Parts: sequence; structure tokens; C-alpha cells
Amino acid sequence: MKQSSVKQERLYKIILAPVVSEKTAIASEMSNQVVFKVAKDADKSEIHAAVEKMFDVKVENVNVLNVKGKTKRTRYGIGKRNDWKKAYVRLEQGQEIDFASGE
Amino acid sequence: MQVSIETTSNLGRRLTVGIPAETVDKEVNKRLAEAAKNVRINGFRKGKVPMKVVKQRFGAGVRQEVIGDTINRSFYEAVQKESVRPAGQPSIEPKQLEEGKDVEYIATFEVYPEFEVAGLEDIEITNYDADIADKDIDNMIESLQKSQSEWVDTKAAIKKEFKVNINFEGLRDGEAFEGGSAENHELVIGSGNMIPGFEDGIIGMKPGETKSLDLTFPEDYQVEDLKGAAVVFNITLNSAQKQKLPKLDDTFFEKFGVTEGGEEKFREDVKSNMEREKQKAIKNKVKEQVMEALLEKNEIEVPASLISGEIDALRQQMVQNYGGAAQNLDLKTLLPDDMFREQAVKRTSLGLIVSEIVKNEKIAVDKDVVKRLVEEAASTYEQPEEVINYYYSNEQLMQGVEAAALEEQIVDYIVGKAKVTDANVSYEELMKPAAQQ
Repeated sequence: MKQSSVKQERLYKIILAPVVSEKTAIASEMSNQVVFKVAKDADKSEIHAAVEKMFDVKVENVNVLNVKGKTKRTRYGIGKRNDWKKAYVRLEQGQEIDFASGE
Repeated sequence: MQVSIETTSNLGRRLTVGIPAETVDKEVNKRLAEAAKNVRINGFRKGKVPMKVVKQRFGAGVRQEVIGDTINRSFYEAVQKESVRPAGQPSIEPKQLEEGKDVEYIATFEVYPEFEVAGLEDIEITNYDADIADKDIDNMIESLQKSQSEWVDTKAAIKKEFKVNINFEGLRDGEAFEGGSAENHELVIGSGNMIPGFEDGIIGMKPGETKSLDLTFPEDYQVEDLKGAAVVFNITLNSAQKQKLPKLDDTFFEKFGVTEGGEEKFREDVKSNMEREKQKAIKNKVKEQVMEALLEKNEIEVPASLISGEIDALRQQMVQNYGGAAQNLDLKTLLPDDMFREQAVKRTSLGLIVSEIVKNEKIAVDKDVVKRLVEEAASTYEQPEEVINYYYSNEQLMQGVEAAALEEQIVDYIVGKAKVTDANVSYEELMKPAAQQ
């Protein structure tokens, strides 16, 4: 994938948080993928660039999906949590992100 | 585990201990595996957290812990292997803690000095004794009377030891100065609470009289302004009281627990009390001499760590004696180490010498001595039986008694070896506390 010319400041706003769960642990184990919560309007190429920039790793490809926010009932009626975007980022072989040492 | 030991000074030792990397890593992994079964991490069910995540989260902490434990354990093993006796806590300095490499650390500490207790035969002890003369008993009774005395109003001219109630006004160059005036001030003549000349001036006055005194403040007076100042005091004597000693009658005796038998019995009681005090004093004198002599004959080098421990203990004790300290006081500067050093050195070296004697001579606590001590302590109470039973049921008390018994046995042992001369002194002299502590 070609490196898109995305503005620097924008890159820092794309990755919101890592997603940590049993499923992501398996994804990183089996297919060397790391999972992030990303900005709702980010596209694959932006995410590709952002991860490479922030973690100093080589990215192979990116899969994205939209997660529907859960509907929650309170005594004031029905509420809805925000939708968000999840990105599975496959790193090139031998690459690794160490979350413990901070971003 | 490799251990090497160096002697840095007379008592100082340096241990270098190396622990193989596998030993540590194995222990770390074992603990992590244990932890993995129980930790809860968001996003994972309990027990389903992958090892990798657990290691990432807790690895460093667990490793620290394991290293701490192994260092502790291996230090004692190393000490045993090298058969040294460390005094106080070692200071441990890690040299190599990185993962995957052998752990290495250096422990520096001091050892107990090894020495032979010498010169027991050369110790000279004077065994004091005193007869209790009638005069001594009279003195004792008089001080008892004083302790029970009361103040009675008097119209007589003031003499020493009278308690007076005065108004006074101090004038310097005709003007009153701060702190120089008071009303209804109570003062015991001869107590030395006022500036020189003040109390002397009152002697000879009668209640109701007024008098003015020309006085000079001493040069070392605590108020800067008044040092050496010449002042006039106008004194009015309101009233005076005289100390009245109670009569030696049955009511007085009763206060001290003598209900029948009158003066004769009372004197006897006082005498037996004094006798007991005397025995105690003799024992103390002997003990003091023995300890002094031990110190003198056996000069040993004492580990600095023990001394500083003792200094801390002494400091604590002092703080407690003054009713506990405010939390935020800096005790170290308030009560500097040097204040206690001499005493601490003395006490620690004495402790070392005595424990050496105990070890060498195999002195053990003698049940009979303990029993005697308990009975002695109980004999001053009204129901000795109960007190004895109480002592035997209270472990803490018993420990105290046993320590005292051991001390006595040691003193006896040394006295048995030493040269003893007898000396007869007056009762008063015997009861005087020793000049040196």
C-alpha cells in the first residue's frame, strides 16, 4: 500500500487506545496482529501510517470494522453508547509492539 | 552459589555472592504461573490470561521480589558456609540484577569480636558494709516526718524554710519593669528562686510589714535588659507559714502501717526497712564494681552497627522518659548521637563480655535463685502467696526475674574469682548513689 500524504497532526489523533482482550491476545499470538480503537473517520491508509509512525514498526496490512455502540437502559430511558471503529493491524514478520514500555 | 569473603577491617567483612540465573528465573516463572491462575485483568476471564500478558504486567515486580528473597536466603546460607557471626544488619549492594544473567551482590557487615574474657582474677572488689546506728534511724524518721509535714500560719519573724506570701513591686530608675511585680506570690525562703539578696532581705520581716530592698540583678540573668541592673523592690509581707512536723504519735505511726506497739515497733520497722535498702545498696555497689572492672580489664572493639543500634535505643528511652516526643521533632539534631555514644559503647561492650562469660562458663538460670528473687519481691506485699503465683503465671515478669537472676549469678561467679576486701562505712555513705553510673 502506498504511503498517503497525511498531515502530521492528524496522525496523532487516529489511534485512540489498544484493545486488550482474550481475542486480541489470540490475534497477536496466531497472526501477529495488534488491535486498536481508532478514530471513527480514519481510513486504512491513515491507520497504516499512524501505527508505523508512533510505534516505529513495519505494518503489513490493516483491516477495519465498525462497532455498534451498545444500547443501555437507565431509569431516564434508553441511551446509546457511541459507535467506534476497530482496526486489526498486521505487522510484518519479526515486528512487535511493546505496550508495557509506553507509546 | 559462589561466595567469596574479604576482610576489610578488624571487624568489617565483605561478602560477594553470586546466584546462577536459572535459579532466579525458575523461581520467577513458577510464581508467575501461580499468579496466572488467579489474577484478574480486564478483557480476560479469570485463569485465561495468557502467560505473555501476565509476564508483561507483573514480571518486573515478581522478579524484584524473588531477588529480594533469594538475596536474603543466600546471605544466611553464605554466612553459615563461611561461619562468621554478623552483628547487626548487613548493607547489601546489588552488582548485577539484569534478567538472564547471574545475580550478584555484595554484602558488607561487621562481625562480633572474638575475644577471651581476661583478668577475672585481677578484679578487686570492695565489699562495703555498714551498721545502722540509732542516729541513722533518727535521720530517717525525721525525713519521714518532713514528708508528712503541714504548713501552719505564723506571726513570727521570717526565718529560713518559711513559706511567705508577698506582694512585690520592682522599680528601676523609679519605673516599674516587666516581670518585676507580683501579688500574692508564694515563696519558700532559701529555695533560691529569686535573685540573690531578695530572699535574704525578707528574713527577719514580720507579716504585715513592708520593706524596700536595693538589689542588683546578676550579670548572667536570663533577661538581656536586666543584666546587672540596679533596682528597688518594695515588698509587702502578707502572711507567712511555718513547716510543722507531725508529732511522733500513734496516728503518725499508723500512716506507715504500724498500728500497735508504738514508737518501739515503729523504730524497728524503720530499721528493718533500712536494712533491706542497705542490702540492696550493697548488692548494687558490688555489681557496679564488677561491671566497671570487667570493662576495664577487657577492652574490646565493638561493631559500629551495634553501637548505633544502642544509641537509638537510648535516645528512644530518653524521649519516653520525657513523656513521649512530638512526632515532627527532628530527634537526631535535638539529641545528637555523641550525647549517647560513650554510654552506648559501654553498654554494648559490657553486653558482649557478659554473654561471652555466660557462654564460656555455661551459666544457666538457676531455678533456686529465681525462686528466691520472686519471694524477695513478694515479701514486701501483704499477701506474698498471691504475688508469687502472679509472678509465676506472668511470662513477661518471669523473664525479667530470670534476667536478674542470671545477672546475680554472673556477679557471684566473678566475685568468687576476684579479690574481695571488706570495708565498713557509715550508712549514709553507703546509700549515696555511686558517682559514676
